[in-house]
Amino acid sequence: MSWETVIGLEVHVQLKTRTKMFCACSTAFGDPPNTHVCPVCLGLPGALPRPNQGAVRLAVRAALALGCTVHRTSVFARKNYFYPDLPKGYQISQFERPLATNGQLSIGDKSIGITRLHLEEDAGKSLHDRFPQATAVDFNRCGVPLIEIVTEPDLRSPEEARRYLVALKQVLEYLEVSDCNMEEGSLRVDANLSVRRPGDPLGTKQEVKNMNSFAAVERALGKLRDQQIAALEAWQRDPQWKGGDSPISLTTFTARTGDLTPMRVKEESHDYRYFPEPDLPPLDLTWYDIDPEIERATLPELPAAKAARFATDYGLPAYDAGVLSATRSIADYFEAVVKAGVDGKEAANWVMGPVLQDANENAGVFRVPPQRLAALVQLVRQAAVSLQAAKQVFSVIASSNEDPQAAVERLGLLQVGDQDQLRTWIDSVLQAHPEERRRYQAGETKLLAFFMGQVMRASRGKADPKAAQELLRLTLDQK
Amino acid sequence: MSDIRARAREAADRIETDGRRLNAVLAFDRDGLLRQADAAAGRRQAPLAGVVIGVKDNIATLEYPTTCASRILEGYRSPYEATAVRRLKEAGALIACKTNLDEFAMGSSTEHSAYGRTLHPERPELVCGGSSGGSAALVAAGAVDAALGSETGGSVRQPAAFCGVVGVKPTYGRVSRYGLVAFGSSLDQIGVVARSVVMAANVLSVISGRDPNDATCADREPFRPPEFPRDLAGFTVGVPAEYFPRDLDPGIRAGCEQAKRALREAGASVREISLPNTRLAIPTYYIIAPAEASSNLARYDGARYGLRVAPPDGDVHAMFRATRGAGFGPEVRRRILVGTYVLSAGYYDAYYRKACAARALIAQDFTRAFQSGVDLILTPTTPTTAFRAGEKMDDPVAMYLADVFVCPANLAWLCAISVPAGRSNGLPVGVQLIGPQFGEARLFQAAAVLERALDAQAEVR
Amino acid sequence: MRINREDIERVAQLAALKVDEDTLATTTEQIGKILEYVSQLSALVDAAGPSDQVSSVWLGTDRPQAPRPDDVAPPDLHRPLEHFAPALRERLFLVPRLAMMEDE
Ligand SMILES: [Mg+2]
Ligand SMILES: [Zn+2]
Repeated sequence: MSWETVIGLEVHVQLKTRTKMFCACSTAFGDPPNTHVCPVCLGLPGALPRPNQGAVRLAVRAALALGCTVHRTSVFARKNYFYPDLPKGYQISQFERPLATNGQLSIGDKSIGITRLHLEEDAGKSLHDRFPQATAVDFNRCGVPLIEIVTEPDLRSPEEARRYLVALKQVLEYLEVSDCNMEEGSLRVDANLSVRRPGDPLGTKQEVKNMNSFAAVERALGKLRDQQIAALEAWQRDPQWKGGDSPISLTTFTARTGDLTPMRVKEESHDYRYFPEPDLPPLDLTWYDIDPEIERATLPELPAAKAARFATDYGLPAYDAGVLSATRSIADYFEAVVKAGVDGKEAANWVMGPVLQDANENAGVFRVPPQRLAALVQLVRQAAVSLQAAKQVFSVIASSNEDPQAAVERLGLLQVGDQDQLRTWIDSVLQAHPEERRRYQAGETKLLAFFMGQVMRASRGKADPKAAQELLRLTLDQK
Repeated sequence: MSDIRARAREAADRIETDGRRLNAVLAFDRDGLLRQADAAAGRRQAPLAGVVIGVKDNIATLEYPTTCASRILEGYRSPYEATAVRRLKEAGALIACKTNLDEFAMGSSTEHSAYGRTLHPERPELVCGGSSGGSAALVAAGAVDAALGSETGGSVRQPAAFCGVVGVKPTYGRVSRYGLVAFGSSLDQIGVVARSVVMAANVLSVISGRDPNDATCADREPFRPPEFPRDLAGFTVGVPAEYFPRDLDPGIRAGCEQAKRALREAGASVREISLPNTRLAIPTYYIIAPAEASSNLARYDGARYGLRVAPPDGDVHAMFRATRGAGFGPEVRRRILVGTYVLSAGYYDAYYRKACAARALIAQDFTRAFQSGVDLILTPTTPTTAFRAGEKMDDPVAMYLADVFVCPANLAWLCAISVPAGRSNGLPVGVQLIGPQFGEARLFQAAAVLERALDAQAEVR
Repeated sequence: MRINREDIERVAQLAALKVDEDTLATTTEQIGKILEYVSQLSALVDAAGPSDQVSSVWLGTDRPQAPRPDDVAPPDLHRPLEHFAPALRERLFLVPRLAMMEDE
């Protein structure tokens, strides 16, 4: 009998704001320690939080994009615990009344339920290895706005979990609410997993934290699943195994690169004593001048919708539409090329080929402006340059910033379609090969390819192949 | 020599003599005060030019330490100042000293100060009330013209009544809490102790008004002191039966009767009302205030400022426990434990959630009373006059009951004032007026009439 | 319901508050009295009360102040960190090393 894996994810995402959630300190990353701090984010006596309107707006937009019900009134709450990087002894978060609930995100074939999305503040950074015997704390990150996005236990495999994360990141990047950079910590994933026999109630969950990439999440969850199944099967074979209790205990693992290490967490530290934050009135969107309907109307086209539109409007296969809508910048580039006059399929071929290859090699920068790419494609269409040569020209103008026409000329790649010039080359070829000409005229028409090769050679590749072949056949067939 | 300089010198002398004798002052700088007087003498047109002000030591100041009368903040100097203090300075007031209080404002007698209790200004064996006891005692002694106190559950009005001075608690949201060290955030409000109603109104007008640094501060212009009419024609004053229990101190009852007569004589109509949920107030208060306090005081952990006690070989959590165990006094520790308990898993619904529901009932009582045509409510400020030092120190619940008449106004986010109403056995008696939210104008008008009509020095009859 | 030593120890642990062995008995007794006093509310108040009380901050009919726009402003700090920090090195706040390193 098989096992069913049940996974839920909690994702914390830093919002792309200029200032922190509850004070006017900068959110800039990478500055010297404790340079972006003030009485509020240091938790000094008497300091009070001042919510950031921009952060609330970004959170509302994220919630709408994830299909959530956005509540006009939500309530900030305190989550109380002691930790060196938590200056007030509590984190301002949301608990009983979150900003948004009940959303969903499609991962292709399947829709993953989103239980809630709420606003909260980040903690500072504890450095345990900087000085001997001491933990050093930097509060620059302390108070940076976060949204926490919690899924329903709808994910059924580590692979689905990864696909959900990719889709979530894509949506958040489209919205420009976050950088979603796992290395810099602007996107963090906590996962929980349990296994059960299909139809059984949910099993005991175990948690995994601190993964540094989506691949690590998938890997850690795979290991956790295998570990749980092995333990449960051993227990089933021998009910006295390990003392007879269920072998799955409430454990939290840390798994930076996907290898599981159990964490020691004190049990009482889970009693967070949430209660409504008495330093803040309820978060009433009207008072924040935020109208969810206006926000909804100004949401950008989201990845799924864009891919669907690309497929219908440009007749692209689903795979191509997916690649072209993978990020907002690729999609925008692709559409700019189309707008500059290039046929959809042709533009798709160019973007998915040379353009993305060049961008990947150059930190994601599209070095050839869409207008210029369109001009190059136009040269191919006019037969002024061969497709092969045009690709060569593309890499040249990507770094030289030249006009395509000028580059083609400079490189001597201009195709010749001029009838007189073509005739000169053809005549010289026919003159040089009278025997083959005779054989052709006797019916050996496959020799056309031979003559074409000779013409191209004579023109040193510049002859427009289509025009040259036409004229060649005409000439051969004349006599 | 200018009158401002002369007054500052006199105040400095009294702070050094009476202030010290009463142990009402935690920090004072004579030269600093005289320098401020020199500056103020140059701008006499400023609204509070030369007015000498004491500031309760749980309000952040740049010039003096801000200790909250706690070992955990001994010597701590705030790197920023409270909005109320900044506004006083801008108005030309002289920030004379920091005043003693119950540690973190938790208490009703100023006995819970880590730096010793403040004495009653007239009878040293008695308490001065609290927690703003230092402020009330200094004002009563004439050492300062007015003082900032803070209220969570009556901490300005109760010591004002014990010391025979005026104490006002503004509506929640009237004065910015920025720089007021938080105790119970949903209850806290900076208040004013003064020798006259007009002075209290003038100081409030300077410190009130919107402040972007406090999200719970109302979006309003500063309070404008009203005209003070000679009569109260058109006023209706309600007297709640629940505030006059059978065992109420007879002197206090007599003080209230005298106040009622004075209000009627001034043309107000006085009628009995009912606030049926009054008995919920103290238990409600002693759930909500400690719950919020347990969280608000979590920041005192020895990591970033203040006292640090680090046991050898202990980790950071050991340091947190040791610092907090050594830095907080017994009453603060009790409230942190109670507050933590009522918020903890399995108890939240029975305590904190219940208390929030009870608070809504208490507030609803007042709303109904005000909707029924009552402008103000008259009650005693305290159940007794000043009690003996030490009397309630071993019985926390008895101490809590000293706030039975004052804490409902905090729970219901209302404004209230205590005015001297004569003496009982030689000790000051205070009467309280409670007004609706942002109803300070009428509150001060009626208080001024009582102030004029009642002889604060005479025995109540 | 009576409060015992274990309750106080659990709560003291949550509150990061060291309670000395010799004061534990007194503390337990005092906290017990306070909790007994305040628990009378249970009998006096219905579960819900008149409103769905979700926030303890009440501003009447007043509008809270305009929200803070997302613009950086200089910190209201008029003394350097060294002035109040018990231990600071290379601009980092130092505390005794955390025993369980839950972070990386
Ligand atoms: Mg969170
Ligand atoms: Zn800050």
